[in-house]
Amino acid sequence: MNINLLIWRNLKKNIKNYYLYVFALAFSSSLYFAFVTLQFDPALDEASGTVKGAAAIRAASVLLIVIVAVFLLFANNLFIKRRGQEIGLFQLIGMTKGQIFRLLTVENFLLYFGSLMIGIFLGFLSSRFVLMILFKLISIDELAELQFSSQALVQTLIVFAVIYLLIMANNLFFIHRQSILSLFKVKATTEGTVKRVTVVEIVIGILGLCFIATGYYVSSQLFSGDFTSVNELFLAMIFILGSVIIGTYLFFRGSITFIGNVIRKGKGGYLNITDVLSLSSIMFRMKSNALLLTVITTVSALAIGLLSLSYIQFYSAEKSAFERVQADFSTNSEKEANMLTEAFTDHNIAYTEETMEIVVATFNMADMIHLSVDPESAGVDVQKMESTVVSDKDVDGLDVKPNEVFFTGWPAMYDPIMDVNENSSIVMHTTANEYKLDLVGLNDEPIIPFYFTFGGSPTAVVDDTVYKQLQNALNDDLQTIFKDQGNRFYKINLENQDDLVRANDLYDTLDFERNTWSLQLEFQGVKEFIGLTLFITGFLGLTFLITSGCIIYFKQMDEGEEEKNGYTILRKLGYTQNDLLKGICVKQFFTFGIPLILSLFHSYFAVKSGWFFFGTEMMTPTIIVMVIYTVLFSIFGLLAVLHYKKVIKEAL
Amino acid sequence: MNILEAHKIHKTYGSRGNKQEVLKGLDLQIKQGEFVSIMGASGSGKTTLLNILSTIDHLSSGSISIEGKEMTKMKERQLAEFRKHYLGFIFQDYNLLDTLTVKENILLPLSIKKVSKNEANKRFSDIASELGIEDLANKYPSEISGGQKQRTSAARAFIHEPSIIFADEPTGALDSKSASDLLNKLTRLNETRKSTIVMVTHDPVAASYCSRVIFIKDGQIYTQLNKGDEKRQDFFKDIMKTQAILGGVQNEH
Repeated sequence: MNINLLIWRNLKKNIKNYYLYVFALAFSSSLYFAFVTLQFDPALDEASGTVKGAAAIRAASVLLIVIVAVFLLFANNLFIKRRGQEIGLFQLIGMTKGQIFRLLTVENFLLYFGSLMIGIFLGFLSSRFVLMILFKLISIDELAELQFSSQALVQTLIVFAVIYLLIMANNLFFIHRQSILSLFKVKATTEGTVKRVTVVEIVIGILGLCFIATGYYVSSQLFSGDFTSVNELFLAMIFILGSVIIGTYLFFRGSITFIGNVIRKGKGGYLNITDVLSLSSIMFRMKSNALLLTVITTVSALAIGLLSLSYIQFYSAEKSAFERVQADFSTNSEKEANMLTEAFTDHNIAYTEETMEIVVATFNMADMIHLSVDPESAGVDVQKMESTVVSDKDVDGLDVKPNEVFFTGWPAMYDPIMDVNENSSIVMHTTANEYKLDLVGLNDEPIIPFYFTFGGSPTAVVDDTVYKQLQNALNDDLQTIFKDQGNRFYKINLENQDDLVRANDLYDTLDFERNTWSLQLEFQGVKEFIGLTLFITGFLGLTFLITSGCIIYFKQMDEGEEEKNGYTILRKLGYTQNDLLKGICVKQFFTFGIPLILSLFHSYFAVKSGWFFFGTEMMTPTIIVMVIYTVLFSIFGLLAVLHYKKVIKEAL
Repeated sequence: MNILEAHKIHKTYGSRGNKQEVLKGLDLQIKQGEFVSIMGASGSGKTTLLNILSTIDHLSSGSISIEGKEMTKMKERQLAEFRKHYLGFIFQDYNLLDTLTVKENILLPLSIKKVSKNEANKRFSDIASELGIEDLANKYPSEISGGQKQRTSAARAFIHEPSIIFADEPTGALDSKSASDLLNKLTRLNETRKSTIVMVTHDPVAASYCSRVIFIKDGQIYTQLNKGDEKRQDFFKDIMKTQAILGGVQNEH
């Protein structure tokens, strides 16, 4: 039997063991190939060109390489350790380390590039599907076409060849470092031996919980006004990050053992089968995998957090101020409004036009608003706040008395930086007089188009009589864009939404000087950008999810192998396969569940501390993201249970 | 009263064309309270016999009943149930779960049977003091010696008061001091608790602690020796002689 035959036999035998490695490799390469294909796709050029997303895509592809490389190296490490005995045997029968390395290299080459080809093929097939999702997200009505990009192929091959070299270097290092004897023992030494729980560990365990709790607490205070300057804010963020990550590490290192030990103490040595398979095993395993689990948890938290934020953005954009203001076109110029309506009439587009009067005034809101941030750093003077004002006769279903005021379009963004006293009054200034108005309420429904709200600030609604007096004593310096146009703006709505495309084409041909907007076109740009962001974070998130799921699964395969002996004992003692499987399910629930739940918590607190910068709705999008992530992650837990089922069956 | 009866057990391994008959119609009776050892050369089928008697392996034909219960027809689940209530095990390599403490390991069989916690603690302290391991209760297997591990394993076999205990080379991995220590303890437990023990060994010294020794050769019972009122040393000499005639690998004791 020559060495080539040996390689071939080895490969055949190992493919069964390696199927998940092959899967992981094929999967990551197909992901990467699909992504790079998109990067080179001319259709995307248009999309990314308009939103300047090219840089984002490139950055994401670099990040993708890093994740894939680390993941493949890790997987390779696990698998070569499993083969320590075999390598030891080859050395024992007189093979040199060089020969063994050659054997592994050739074997790996076939396996690696074989799966790579499969991956690229799958990536090619799925890239159209992926492109379709992207188009859907950025609402481009184009048909995704299947295009094979040789540029993408070359880039993928180069990247994966470099990763292959890294893996080989890693294998070379592994073979050279080990003696024959230690190779035989590799399996036994991968996990620390079981020792008694020491006081140090208890302290570590409690510390870990404290660190995490502190991080969470500081994160909830982040934007509540305790940290006023940018520097302080930055330091606080670093502190949160550090505290939570260290806390997570200590949690895996000690807290699990500590909590497990408390539970076990309570049982007084009388453990049932579920405890035996889950509790006692997890207590010791988690500790030796602390670093790995910390990385997985942090990365997952990052992925869930980013996904949630971009989905919040996407979700909020859908129902943001843009869309809730039912004005397809808006302008503050009578001339331009006429240009537009004439064009519409010429082309038989039915529309309605609405005119609203609007003024800007200053208010003393010291009584109503309590700022929780430093007024100077926030650039807010509550004694002299500017706000748009409209008359209640222009607002349907709202009637305020002469001494009252109502605020509409109150942004959610304000919530964390100020408290509103609902039973208070404000003072409105005109050049002639001051009006004391009682606050009767506020809502988040905007009534004027976004462009006239000065970046989404609220609008005061006052009684018509008060409004008339205000008009007569206007402070001209405040009127800005409304000044020359008689303090009016025009909302033009299409009667039939099917005309929207034609209307927008007309809008494009007209030559506007002043502020005239098409909701559709303005919104499109924003949506494209948000959609692209969601797409990229989704793509990376999926990669994170699958790599971390695979890593835990690999670890479980290893553990199953090591604990097989224990299953034999337990089955001899009279436990049925079902008894054992129940215990294993609980174990998987914790092995996958603890990192998952921890990362869900991390990301929840991260999202909670700053979501209002991204959108108006937090709970629904965040929960949707978390549920999807949990479901996908659970699939790996299920796979692990199926693997264990096989191991248990073979154990007796 | 016979606690275990086996009739014409056959066991063949391998598929058609390459069949190997390991047990060839073996008959065996073991009485309540006996301490029996099974001896034989490597490949004589003694471990296979033990595996079959202890329901871990299936037999090809024949019948086995323990306490009058026929087990050859039982399903996997019933067998597990059976092992749970009627059988105890001691293995050569201890087979303790290294993530559990000594006490947790010993109490395992009770937790399957859902014995109350107080009762479990009482039984634990009884058996642990008899085997001299009560001080080790909260230690992990990695922290104790081989002899202590084997006594833990023995305690686990005895704690749920099974009808019959199977021991597979229990002294195989122990030094001679720990071995004789363990065998003395087993003998004592056999006497005080009236438990039935079936032990497979190839060590004549270990066998000499038993009340009866069954020799197996090529899948059949070759001969049996009864200790009767003999002293252990004399019984040991008898065993040595038989073993010499048996022609197995000579032991140098």
